[in-house]
Amino acid sequence: MNERRSSIFDGVLGDNAVLSGLMVISPVIICGNTIKNAEALICAFSAITFLSVLIASFVPKKLPYTVKVIIYALISSIVYLPVKNAAEKFYPDSITRIGIYFPLLAVNSLIILQSEARFFKMKKPRMLASLTFYIIGFDAVMLLTAFIRELLAYGTIRSKMADVNTLISGLGEPFGGFILLGLMCGAYRKIRSIARKEKNTGSDLNVSGK
Amino acid sequence: MYLVNDIIAFLAANLILSQALGTSTLFIAADSRRKLVGTTCCITLFTTIGSAAAFLINKELPSGYKDLTLIFYVLTVGLLYVGLLTTAYFITPERFEKIRKYIHLSAFNCAVIGTLFTMEQKSADDPSLMTLKEYVKFGFEAGLGFITAALILTAAFRKLNSSKVPSSFRGGPAILIYLGIISMAVYSLK
Amino acid sequence: MLKKARKERLIWLDIMMTLMALALMSYFYYGIRSAALCGICVAVSLVAEIISLRLMGRHFKADDLTCTSDALIFALMLPACMDYSIAVIASVFAVVVAKNVFGGRKNMIFSPAAAAYVFVLTSWGSKLLMFPEPHSRLGVFEKPDTLTHSASYSFNISGKLDYTDFEVLLGNFSGPAGSVSVLLLVISAVILIFRGDISAGAFLGSIVGTGLFAFIAPVGSSREDSLSYSLVTNMVLFASVYIIADKRIAPKREYFAIFYGLFVAVFAYTLVLTTAKENAIVMVSVLFTPVALGFKNLEKKISLAEQEELVKETEAADETAQEITEEAIVNE
Repeated sequence: MNERRSSIFDGVLGDNAVLSGLMVISPVIICGNTIKNAEALICAFSAITFLSVLIASFVPKKLPYTVKVIIYALISSIVYLPVKNAAEKFYPDSITRIGIYFPLLAVNSLIILQSEARFFKMKKPRMLASLTFYIIGFDAVMLLTAFIRELLAYGTIRSKMADVNTLISGLGEPFGGFILLGLMCGAYRKIRSIARKEKNTGSDLNVSGK
Repeated sequence: MYLVNDIIAFLAANLILSQALGTSTLFIAADSRRKLVGTTCCITLFTTIGSAAAFLINKELPSGYKDLTLIFYVLTVGLLYVGLLTTAYFITPERFEKIRKYIHLSAFNCAVIGTLFTMEQKSADDPSLMTLKEYVKFGFEAGLGFITAALILTAAFRKLNSSKVPSSFRGGPAILIYLGIISMAVYSLK
Repeated sequence: MLKKARKERLIWLDIMMTLMALALMSYFYYGIRSAALCGICVAVSLVAEIISLRLMGRHFKADDLTCTSDALIFALMLPACMDYSIAVIASVFAVVVAKNVFGGRKNMIFSPAAAAYVFVLTSWGSKLLMFPEPHSRLGVFEKPDTLTHSASYSFNISGKLDYTDFEVLLGNFSGPAGSVSVLLLVISAVILIFRGDISAGAFLGSIVGTGLFAFIAPVGSSREDSLSYSLVTNMVLFASVYIIADKRIAPKREYFAIFYGLFVAVFAYTLVLTTAKENAIVMVSVLFTPVALGFKNLEKKISLAEQEELVKETEAADETAQEITEEAIVNE
C-alpha cells in the first residue's frame, strides 16, 4: 500500500519532472523570472499536458512508436488552440512576454516522451492521479523559481515592492535561471537522499524490531 | 578583427546559452563522441530543412489562421521524422538501429520547434528576413549553435560527472550551473 | 602525495604574499576601506568554504585555504568603494557556485575570482566600473563624493592615457583597487614564475598575444603607446598573472598553455579594440574555460598514448633480452 502511494506522489517530490528528470526546463529558465509569467505558464502547462495526455491515452498502443509520437504532438498542438485563447483573456501581458515558450509547452517531453514511457503503462485512474502530481510538481518548481527570482532580481513579489536591499539583477536573466535551477536541483537531490536514508533507517529498525 | 565580434554575436544568439532550448537533449548529446555527432547532425538536419518548410508555411498561411502555425510545424517535423527514418533505413539498413535513436531524440524537442518559432518571430519583426535563404541560413546556424554548445559541454563533461563532484550536484545540476556561468560570460560580453 | 600537498601550500603562500603586497598598495591609495573590503571578502570566503565543505561531508584542511587567495584576487579587482553586501554575495558565489559545486579545489573548472567578477559585472556593472580617485583615502563606512571612469575606459575610448609613465608604473591612476600597481605586478609575476607557482606558458602567451596585437593593430595612433598601455590597462597584467596563469585552470604542458594564453589575450584585445569593452580579459578567461579543459583532455590522451608506447617498448625490450639470454644458454 505504501509503495503504491509513494509512486503516485512521485511527480511532486520523489521524481519531480523538472528537478529530477530535468524536463521542461527551458520555460522555467527563461520565463520563470516573475510570478505573473509563472502563473500564466502554470495554467497553460497544466491544461495542455493534462488534456493532451488524457486524449492521447486513447491512441491504439499497437501503432508504431514514430506514428504515436507524431499523433501525441498533433493532439497537444490542437489542445493548445483553446488554451491559448483562454490565456490571452486572463494573462494578456504575460503571453506576450512568454513569446515562443508558450507554443513550446505543447511539445514538452512530459507529453511526447514520458506519456509513452511512463503514463500509458499504468491503468487510467492511476495514470490520471500520477499525471496530476507530475503537473503539480512542475507547477510548484515554476512558482518557487519565479518567486525567488522576482524577489531577488527585481525586489518585488507579484509586481508589489518588497523590502530587499541588494538586488541581484542577473538572476532575472537566462544565466541566472540556469544557475538557480542547478542549485535547486542539487538541493532537491540532497534533501531526497537524506529523506530516503532516514526512511531506510526507519524500515531497518522496524525489521530488527520484529 | 570583426570575426571575434561575430563569434560573440553567434554565441549570444545560441539556442542553448541564451534561450535554453534543447538543454535536456544536450545532456544526452554530450555523453559520448558518437552520441554528440549523431544527435547534433540530426538536430541540424531538422532545423535546416524544418526552417525551409517553416518559410513556406509562414508565407502561405493566411494571417487569420496564424494560430494554426503550431499544428503545421508539428506536421512538418512529423513528416521530416518519418522521412529521415525511411531514408536512414534504405541507405544504411545495417546501421539503422543505431541511427534511429538519434532521430527519435532530435525530432520533437524544443531546439527544433523553438528554432522555427524564433525565425517566425524574427521575420515578423524584420520583413527583409522573410526569404527562403534567410530561413535556411538561420536554421543551419541554429544547428551549428547546438553543435557549439555541445562541444562546450563535452570539454567539461568528464569533470562534471566526476566522483569528485558532490553526489547531489553530479551530472545534471553541475551541467546547468556550468552552462549558466558560460552563458553569464557571453552575456557580459554582449 | 605529501610532496604535492606541500607544493600546493607553498604556491598558496607565495601567491598570498604577492597579493598582500598589492593589497598594501591599495591601502596606500584608497585607505582603510580597501583593506576592509579585502578582509570581508577573505572572511566570507573562508566561512563559505568551511560551511560548504561540511555540507559536502569533507573536513576543512590547510590546502583549502586557497579560497582566501581567490577572495583576495577578487577583492583587488573591485573598486575600493564597492558595497560590502555585493562583495559578500560575490564571495559566496565564488566559493559555492564557481568552485565547490564542481567538487572544490580537486576538480577546478573556473577561476572562482574571475567567475565572481563576471557575476558582479552582470548584476552591478555600473557600480563595478566607477572608481574613486587615487589618494581619496576612504574610511570604513565612507563613500566618495565623486566617482570617475577608470583609466582603462579613457584608454579604450581615446587610445591615450593622461598619466606619466612613473604614475602608471606605481599604479597612481583610477581603476580597481589592487590591480593597477604595474611595478608590483611585474615583480610578482617574475617571483611567481621563478618559484613555479604560475603557468609561465599561459602568462607569456597572454602578454605576448596582447603586446603583439597592440602593436600590429594599435588602439590609438601611436604603436608604442598602444603596446605599453594595452598591457597595463584593462587588468591585462593582473589577469595574466592571477587568472590566466592559474595552474589549477591553465593546461599543464607549457606549449598548450602558451596557446591558451595567446587565444585569451588575442580575443580579449580584439574586443577592447572593436567594442572598447573594459576588462574584457577577465570575461574572456571565463568564456575560454572549455578551451583550457579541451587542452587538458588532449594532454591526458597524449599522456595515455605515451604510457602505452612506453609499455610496448618495455615489453619489446624484455622479449629481446629474453631471446638473447635463451640464445646464450643454448650456445653454452
